[in-house]
Amino acid sequence: MKDKQPEEDEIKLVGDKPRIGVFLCHCGSNIAGTLDIDELEEYAKSLDSVVYVKQNRYTCADPGQEEIRQGIKDYKLDKVVVAACSPRMHEPTFRVTVSEAGMNPFNFIMANIREHCSWCHEESGDSLQKAKEIIKMAVVKAALTVPLQKFEVPVTDKAMVIGGGVSGIHAALDLANMGYKTYLVERDESIGGHMAQLDKTFPTLDCSICIEGPKMVEAGRHPNIEIISFADIVHVDGYVGNFTVTIRKKPRYVIQDDCTGCGECSDVCPVEYPNAWEQNLGTRKAISVPFPQAVPLVYTINRDHCIECYKCVDVCGERQAIDFEQEPEEIEVEVGTITVATGFHTLYEPVRGGEFEAAQEGYYGYGRFENVVTALEAERLICAGGPTGGEVIRRSDGKHPKRVGFILCVGSRDVNKYEYCSNFCCMYSLKNAILVKEHEPDTEIFIWYIDIRTPGKGYEDFYTRAREAGFTFIKGRPYEVIEDSETKNLIVRSEDVLIGRDIEVEVDLLILATAGEPSFGTGELGGKLHITRSGDGFFMEAHPKLKPLDTPVDGITLSGACQGLKDIPYSVSAGSGAASRAATILSKDTVEIEPIVAVVDPDKCKNVDRDCGVCVDKCPFVAITAVEGKAAAVNVANCHGCGTCVASCPHDAIEQMHFTDPMIFSQIRAALENKPEEKILVFACNWCCYGGSDLAGTSRFTYPPNSRIIRVMCSGRVDTDFVAEAYRLGAGAVMVGACHRPTDCHYITGNHIAYERFQRYRKVLEGAGISPERFLWKEISAAEGLIFAKTMKELNQKLNDIGIDRIKEENEKGRKRISAPLKRKGLIPVIEIAEEDE
Amino acid sequence: MNDSISRETIENESIDPDFVERIVEAGADRIRTCIQCGTCSSVCPSGRRTAFRTRELMRKALLGLKEEVLSSPDLWLCATCLTCLERCPRQIKVTDAIVIMRNMAVKEGFMLPQHRKVSKKLLQTGHAVPLDEANQEMRKELEIPEIPPTVHAHEDALDDVKEIMKRTGFDKLIQEEEGGEKE
Repeated sequence: MKDKQPEEDEIKLVGDKPRIGVFLCHCGSNIAGTLDIDELEEYAKSLDSVVYVKQNRYTCADPGQEEIRQGIKDYKLDKVVVAACSPRMHEPTFRVTVSEAGMNPFNFIMANIREHCSWCHEESGDSLQKAKEIIKMAVVKAALTVPLQKFEVPVTDKAMVIGGGVSGIHAALDLANMGYKTYLVERDESIGGHMAQLDKTFPTLDCSICIEGPKMVEAGRHPNIEIISFADIVHVDGYVGNFTVTIRKKPRYVIQDDCTGCGECSDVCPVEYPNAWEQNLGTRKAISVPFPQAVPLVYTINRDHCIECYKCVDVCGERQAIDFEQEPEEIEVEVGTITVATGFHTLYEPVRGGEFEAAQEGYYGYGRFENVVTALEAERLICAGGPTGGEVIRRSDGKHPKRVGFILCVGSRDVNKYEYCSNFCCMYSLKNAILVKEHEPDTEIFIWYIDIRTPGKGYEDFYTRAREAGFTFIKGRPYEVIEDSETKNLIVRSEDVLIGRDIEVEVDLLILATAGEPSFGTGELGGKLHITRSGDGFFMEAHPKLKPLDTPVDGITLSGACQGLKDIPYSVSAGSGAASRAATILSKDTVEIEPIVAVVDPDKCKNVDRDCGVCVDKCPFVAITAVEGKAAAVNVANCHGCGTCVASCPHDAIEQMHFTDPMIFSQIRAALENKPEEKILVFACNWCCYGGSDLAGTSRFTYPPNSRIIRVMCSGRVDTDFVAEAYRLGAGAVMVGACHRPTDCHYITGNHIAYERFQRYRKVLEGAGISPERFLWKEISAAEGLIFAKTMKELNQKLNDIGIDRIKEENEKGRKRISAPLKRKGLIPVIEIAEEDE
Repeated sequence: MNDSISRETIENESIDPDFVERIVEAGADRIRTCIQCGTCSSVCPSGRRTAFRTRELMRKALLGLKEEVLSSPDLWLCATCLTCLERCPRQIKVTDAIVIMRNMAVKEGFMLPQHRKVSKKLLQTGHAVPLDEANQEMRKELEIPEIPPTVHAHEDALDDVKEIMKRTGFDKLIQEEEGGEKE
């Protein structure tokens, strides 16, 4: 080895100069078969700050790892580079190795000379040159690394569930049974949600309240569950493991602890008003419960209707549970996780307190024709506990209908209302049709549908049952319903699509399968929790496939229909799943946070002088706050380390740890040191494009060796300054490799922001005279190795077509304009500025 | 739609996979989202009186039955009232799609005799509906000039109109039609 072992005090003297060790892996013949490792060793030794170079047959095997540890010890290495496979493969392994030798794991960098070189290029001078440059790019980055510590935050082992429908109840019960104190917050007077309103459930026709009721009661008396009902979320503060939630309890004018639920007050109350819980088909007293099975069984006075006769106070007597002086009460609770289970609403569903509003007029004469009802109204009519005692009767004359029509997809699958399929309407309409027929067997049933969708366990059998029951199914979306003014019957007109003829059917009751919509107040609650909603208005999950119950905010999980419409079995599964996701946090004393977070330099942040907040807008995780007059601040517990804010900051006031601007600039310069005009510089996001480039290697797809790949966590990290620097140095082509839009980004919207940024920057480059073919935005998934290889070939072909001379000419002509922002920001090394000014 | 008791199988050769693409490119961009719900047919005032099924036309177009669609007299039964376009739950520009297909049909040489007749009139007189005696009489009663200030009053302008039709290839479109009629 060229370097003699230094003395202790010598290290202190050269404290600023890193001591880098480079370990070259043969990987059997996987690397050594294509690349001349001895030459790589000589090259690595020549690099600045490299004090030790060692070849290993297999660096990842025990002997190889031991050689790293030994090297660190013997040569006082403070940085280590392993030139071997992809960091996606063995970075975690070597981070542990170096830690064992007392080095900080973030002082370790990998040079990917296998997937990116020996596996995808033939043995040649060019591929050897590529390997050298890959090693150099790793060494220059390693030289700039600093030790980083993982953040640890303590966890409050209490949970909150917002919304007491069937999904929320199950989430709360599971959390409580795991031993966590759980607050179940419910907006209405009672938990139970929509399931409590249904008559029977498909496909088994169990009585809905008979199976949900016991669960409601269990939640009500569970020692670990505290139901906070008739209450709203006011404010949410904090982060994973440490949320503070402010809740406002609305006054019931009945003291919860003193009310025995006997109902004597309701008996003597002289006032009735429409009961929204019964879809306004029935009434309730001014002091009452919405339904007899309510949990908690506490009465509530509706002061909008109460005439203050105080008969209830008299009959309550000694119990003294009624308190007309009650005020709203705000309480604050500390929890480690929040599970959102706010469910859904159906189109035209009345809300509590909405009884003064005129009925909504809607599709197919709803609100105008008396005998057009919604499915939820039908549920209450069919239910024996409902306002008609289970008699399905017409609003117009109280008679039993003989011909009942069902229209599916009312407001669903309709771009003009809700584009999505509401998931459960086919099944509940079949169920209601079967129940109507059971109640009055001589009823004729007509069902208008576009498609019948029954993808659930036992659902297709249920459809067969409905077919066998002799219903008339008409494939066609009715365009018009008119009312016979005398009989109040309804004439439904549509095409029978299967025959291709118009069809007109008269029914005497029409039930609309109205769309499900996001629960009233979803947007407002989302704002308080800092969780986003997808295009359909429902809460957005962290990943559509692999994190369907998580939100982008750590510690907040989604349960049930608030994430997207679900029927009962799926809502229950989601509730248990969300509880389990929450428990992965609650079960630990602390949560660890990767230190590759964004850090704001308060001296550079311009928010101090003026309202800027660009970073706040660009952060997909709402992890940044910018208070007027103060520098923006990153909440590390919420930061996921994508770097989108870093690249978006107009004043370069934000830095991403371990992926700093100086590191990436140094990598760009190392990559483009030789023959830059022949090269393709690729910025690849870790999760997709970098994965794709690895797969190209693993699959041995060959492509020209003129690409140099810089790994970033997200395409959102790619600053336009990086691209500018590449062209200033004379790059042939620059590619930004991202995840596929719209939903593949690991950081929700990082790739969208990057895409917008590069659409804008493309114009700058065009203005500077750079051929558009030389700047590429490409979305490549981790499964698209072939596409990565193909893209590299095509890009190389384009560079050949354009020709080296023209590339040089374009770069020369555009340099001044492209370099201007770099010069202004002082990003060009002093020595080069002097050259440029010449 | 015909009264024949036999129905022919749709063969591979009748399917032109590029057909929809051309309709999409010409502006009916959401046509592929059609779910065959039948709203368009059932609101169609023409379909109520004729065998015209808007939905069926959309389906055939989506399947790529170019020849069948373009040669079909159904294509000309739409009154372009736009009701289907307004009511479509997928916001498909149904009427636009029909007009696009009509343009294609004419380019491919499919044209109803009535339309050809009208077009010829336009070529000859500069008017699709030229002035006749009855109209002239009516204009007289209304006390407006018997001859309107159009090509009817400006013989030389008719040459210009003809020139326009020549340069746009409209005259050729009709001539070709006369030569080899496909219907």
